[in-house]
This record gives sequence, structure tokens and C-alpha cells, in this order.
Amino acid sequence: MAGLIYFEDIEVGQSFAFGHYEVTKDEIVEFAREFDAQPHHLDEEAGKRSLLGGLAASGWHICAMTMRMVVDGFISRAANRGGVGAEECRWMKPVKPGDMLRVEMEVLETRGSKTMPDIGFVRVSCRVFNQREQVAVINMTPILARRGA
Amino acid sequence: MWFEDIVLGEKRDLGSYTFTEEEIIAFGRKYDPQVFHVDPEAAKKSMFGGIIASGWHTAAVWMKLSIASRQAEAQSGRKLSRAGVSPGFENMRWLRPVRPGMTLHYSTTPVERVDLKSRPELGLIKSHGEARDDAGELVFSFTGKGLVARKPKENAP
Repeated sequence: MAGLIYFEDIEVGQSFAFGHYEVTKDEIVEFAREFDAQPHHLDEEAGKRSLLGGLAASGWHICAMTMRMVVDGFISRAANRGGVGAEECRWMKPVKPGDMLRVEMEVLETRGSKTMPDIGFVRVSCRVFNQREQVAVINMTPILARRGA
Repeated sequence: MWFEDIVLGEKRDLGSYTFTEEEIIAFGRKYDPQVFHVDPEAAKKSMFGGIIASGWHTAAVWMKLSIASRQAEAQSGRKLSRAGVSPGFENMRWLRPVRPGMTLHYSTTPVERVDLKSRPELGLIKSHGEARDDAGELVFSFTGKGLVARKPKENAP
């Protein structure tokens, strides 16, 4: 797709794929120290004793890494105007050092703003995979400008 | 404190956090490099009129304060719920822009107890998490989900 992506260019059912994002131990620990200092996000041995079965990324870190892939692969190519929020997030499997993440994004709904005629809401579902299986799903709603607005 | 002991509707203040421009940009560069999160000059020309924090940054700070609050309560000897892993969240809303220098006041309130047929030793607590600005306006909200251990049966072998 050439040029900026506007609200009118998006259709329900359209799908996109992007990534990869390589997950490192250093980054898992660095994010956890700042935002989610629980033992299973900081230490391999503590991770083994937890439900996660080893050192694993904070769920909030999974969201942040997913956002980076969505920005690089889609939002940076679009007439982006921010976001409404994230309607649902399920952390399904642990994300561990060495994992290679990728995203499959599908458009669930498009809706023009009633109060602001120059923007529209694009609700998408982002399924996040590592090299083996699906690890998370994050549904969110970026805002795009309308063409000519 | 077990799943059964958690009092629904009891709000817990998690404390306050002031966002600096430096932190907002550092988070944005790493995880959400849209111009209004990373470039002060370009952000002035955007619909936000200046740098604002990534919504995921606002969310991550909720987690940061939640951990700090638990640690403080543990040190003061208060009985804590047995925090486990979380399966996710619902209905996250970024309602107002978070600008450099703004202070947000975070809280969490347990709102629903859910039995898990697949995991009889655990229960799911849904909580309303939020952040408000100095004027008390709602800036950020979501429904968190946490797995909490149930009280062991006393007559178990």
C-alpha cells in the first residue's frame, strides 16, 4: 500500500502481519525492575518455582513489545491520531528469553467518530505468536484520520 | 489473605506518580514511537499539542505502584492476598492525555469474585484499576484480573 493509510482505506476483515521482535533476558529483567518487580520476571530460579516455569516477561512488557510491532508495521504508515484503549488482553503462554515474537492483526470493526468528523476508530485484534504457538491476544482501538480531513 | 477473604468494593490507594518528559520519551522510543510520544517539536503540531505518555506507559506505572504498595504493606505486617499470575485484563481506556509534569493518583478496587471450575485451588478476582489527575478527573481505567489462592480445606488429608 503506497502513501499514508487513512481511515477510509481500512476494511473489516483486513489482515496484516508484522514482527519479528526478539525477546532477551536483559530486556525482560530491565522492564521488570522498572515496572513489574516480581521474582518470576527477575530471576530464573524463582521463575522455575512459579506457574510460569522459568524466567518470563511481564504481561505489561508483552503488551509493550506488541505495540512496538504494531507501530512499526502499521501505525507509523497510517495517519495516526492516538488510541482509545485496549478492550481485551489475554496472556496465554509465558514469553521467555530467546522467543521471537510476531503479530497477526485483523480488523474487527471500523466506526467514524460522531463528535469529531475528521477521525475514525479502527478496532483490531492482535494475535501474538512466538516461534511455537500463540502467546497472547490484545484487542485495541487505534484512531486514524479521515482522508482529506 | 485468601480468595475468600478479599472484600469487594474496598478501594486501595496505590500512591501517586509524576511523569517526566525524559521518561515519557524513553518509553516511547522503545515501545511506542509515535511522534507525539517521542518528538517534542513534532508533537506540538499534532492533535495533542505536545508530548504525551504512551497509554501502555500509563498502564505499566499502575503495575509499578501496585508492586510498591504490596511491598510497603508486607513490611507493615498487613496480611496480603497471595498474588499469582494474571490471565489478562479488559476494558482499558486512555481517557485523557498524560503530559510531562502531570501527577496521576492510582488505585485499585476488587469488584468481582469468579470461581474457576478448571482450577479448584484458585479463584479469579476482577478489579477496577484507575488513575486520576490532580483535579480528580479520570485519566485511565481498566478491569484487571488476578488469580488468588483459595483457603485450603481444613479436613483435607
